[in-house]
Amino acid sequence: MTHETTPVIDINNLTRRFDSKTALASVTLSLPRGGVYGLVGTNGAGKTTLIKHILGLLKAQTGSVRVFGLDPVDDPVGVLSRIGYLSEENDLPGWMRVDELIRYSRAFHPAWDDDYAEELRQSFALDPAAKIRNLSKGQKARVGILIALAYRPDLLVLDEPSSGLDPIVRRDILGAIIRTIAHEGRTVLFSSHLLEEVEQVADHVTMIDHGKVVLSAPLADIREAHRVDGRIPSLDEIFIARVGVSPATAVEV
Amino acid sequence: MIVLAAIKLVVIVRGIPIYLDSAESFAFVVVVPLTATFTYFLAMFTFGLDGDLAARQSMFPARRLTLPVTTTALAGWPMIYGSATIGLLWLATRAFALWPSGFAIPTIWPALLAVSLLAWTQALTWMPYPLPGLRIVVVVVWLSAIDAIVLLALTFHARELLMVAIIAPQIPLAYVVARLAVARARRGDVPDWRGAFASLARVGHTDARAGRHFSSPAAAQTWFEWRRHGWSLPTWVAIVLPFELVLLWVVGASRSLLLTILVGIFLTPPFIATFAAAAVSKSNSDRGDSNGVAPFVATRPLSSTELVAAKLKMAIGSTVVAWLLVLITVPIALKLSGTSALVLDTWHHVRVFMGMPRAVVLLLLILAGCIAATWTQLVQGLFIGLTGRASLIKASVFLVLGFFVLFGPFLDWITDSGRLGVVWSALPLIFGVLVAAKMTAAVWIGLRLYGKRLLKDRTLVAGAASWCVAVFALYGVLVWMLDTPHIPHYLLMLVAILTIPLVRVSAAPVALSWNRHR
Repeated sequence: MTHETTPVIDINNLTRRFDSKTALASVTLSLPRGGVYGLVGTNGAGKTTLIKHILGLLKAQTGSVRVFGLDPVDDPVGVLSRIGYLSEENDLPGWMRVDELIRYSRAFHPAWDDDYAEELRQSFALDPAAKIRNLSKGQKARVGILIALAYRPDLLVLDEPSSGLDPIVRRDILGAIIRTIAHEGRTVLFSSHLLEEVEQVADHVTMIDHGKVVLSAPLADIREAHRVDGRIPSLDEIFIARVGVSPATAVEV
Repeated sequence: MIVLAAIKLVVIVRGIPIYLDSAESFAFVVVVPLTATFTYFLAMFTFGLDGDLAARQSMFPARRLTLPVTTTALAGWPMIYGSATIGLLWLATRAFALWPSGFAIPTIWPALLAVSLLAWTQALTWMPYPLPGLRIVVVVVWLSAIDAIVLLALTFHARELLMVAIIAPQIPLAYVVARLAVARARRGDVPDWRGAFASLARVGHTDARAGRHFSSPAAAQTWFEWRRHGWSLPTWVAIVLPFELVLLWVVGASRSLLLTILVGIFLTPPFIATFAAAAVSKSNSDRGDSNGVAPFVATRPLSSTELVAAKLKMAIGSTVVAWLLVLITVPIALKLSGTSALVLDTWHHVRVFMGMPRAVVLLLLILAGCIAATWTQLVQGLFIGLTGRASLIKASVFLVLGFFVLFGPFLDWITDSGRLGVVWSALPLIFGVLVAAKMTAAVWIGLRLYGKRLLKDRTLVAGAASWCVAVFALYGVLVWMLDTPHIPHYLLMLVAILTIPLVRVSAAPVALSWNRHR
């Protein structure tokens, strides 16, 4: 298998349990290079657990995880240096100023593009002297996008990036995804329970429920397969048909 | 305290006598366990283990501020629980540690003093402050003032009633201040005087922005760690040092008092480092309620070893700055206080007694030992803290407390039962067992580092070689210094092996890796 044909993410039979709760059950997933992959599911479905395995923050109990052909636990440097990650928690260090965070993040990525970072900073209207802890949630998300994008990563992982954000910030995030895929061969994995967002940008959708992959296919194929009387249903409707509940309204018990 | 009580009961049931007539045995049996437990309770009931002491914001946990209870209840209950626990701690110490010595130790006012110190610490740590770091200054000054008043009263042999009259009113006052502090924290009322220092801040900011790019990811991570924790130790040393240096002005011609003060000063950085280490060794210092590695740090494209190396380098920098403070201010204070002549005279005596080369080496050895101990204190807890396992961390705290509790009575028992000679004879065996344990642990850690590819082969070999060089260097110095037939050379080798840190520091990357990839 050549470098070009190696899947960006290759997960085989991954199972994860937290005490008695099965968070992931025999998940198998393969994401080739290029395109936007939407990972959708209700809260607690296993999306973040899956992403944590991809980042090497969780070790596979059974099964295997390969990112760029590497094990993210054995070779965190090789994997993480090629991933841009925006976490749901957005735990950027509050004591840093925006310019300090940019300078710090720059050190880890030789491909960091100063001009691009500055362009993003200006378009997001971020004050370089502002402390991260003093920024609003939306501004923090923008800073997170900036440092995840400025080195043009091979894989951009966004874990519920729009959660709790206003429409303008969500637009910026979707814009970031579009910018990333504008560069040929780059890949985006975008987890969300807001299916209308996923629908706007994803080429391929993976639905996950109670730790199991219930559907994984190109978006166009999913729509076509669920066509009823000539009408193409929305992704939300398809999800309800498959899982029985809308991810946007489901509440984890 | 339960452990202490159990030991005490065993000791009494078996009829083993404990004499509290010397300062040492009193310290070992009463003061050290009491202080260690009191300090832990102080940190626990002020939520100091979770918060940032240097921050402007209140250290009261933010998530509790939204609980549907009145501010009085919110502030009051932790204070009541704390007061009851601290009061019981004293009463238990009074009952289990001192009984049946027959010592005339007062019961009421020490308990009130402990409660008052806790209440004030709670009030002052929960208060929002207008400047970063101001909390530390206020707490230290205020608690020192209370201590000074009490010590003054004791000096003049104040009666228990007077002591109670001095201390008791402070407790409700502290409660009122604590309620005010929590109320302000609830309102998000954090005064900000940083504007007054804006010009200074702007200078600093310009420097930072003008700063060049980091030479490597490791350099960036070291900067990150330095900004997070690097100033804690030097700041604390800078706060405590003036109080100690002032004592040089009251020494007079007392050589023993002067030496005691100097020993105290030189032990200050390693002592403070034990407390500063709590923050350094936390795997997620930005979120006190979480022991896991923060995703921001965990997703840095650095190996776990490089992440730990950044902490070790930061600790070196922190130690150097703290010791520069000590080494610059002490000679100045000695000169200004007029005690330098006494120091030089003492030095002259040591020189005559030992000879110039040995005296110089001894001095350098003590200094190097204190500096190394400071660094070691900062980093030796990493292998526990970085595991992120709350049960392990708590167990280690109890183990240390248990050690303090056990060590005193054990040492006292050895001394008083005339078994010192037996212990001295068994020293080679004891050290031999400890060395065997240390080397076994080192081999296990080395295999883990190699097996998990946490260290490159070359680094592993270089590290082991450096450790061997350090051991042989120390051994050489010890052999030269202690050239006596009473101490066999192999014993000095065992001492050198036990002294140079190996296992705990090298276990830190394994601990972090375990935590980072759960």
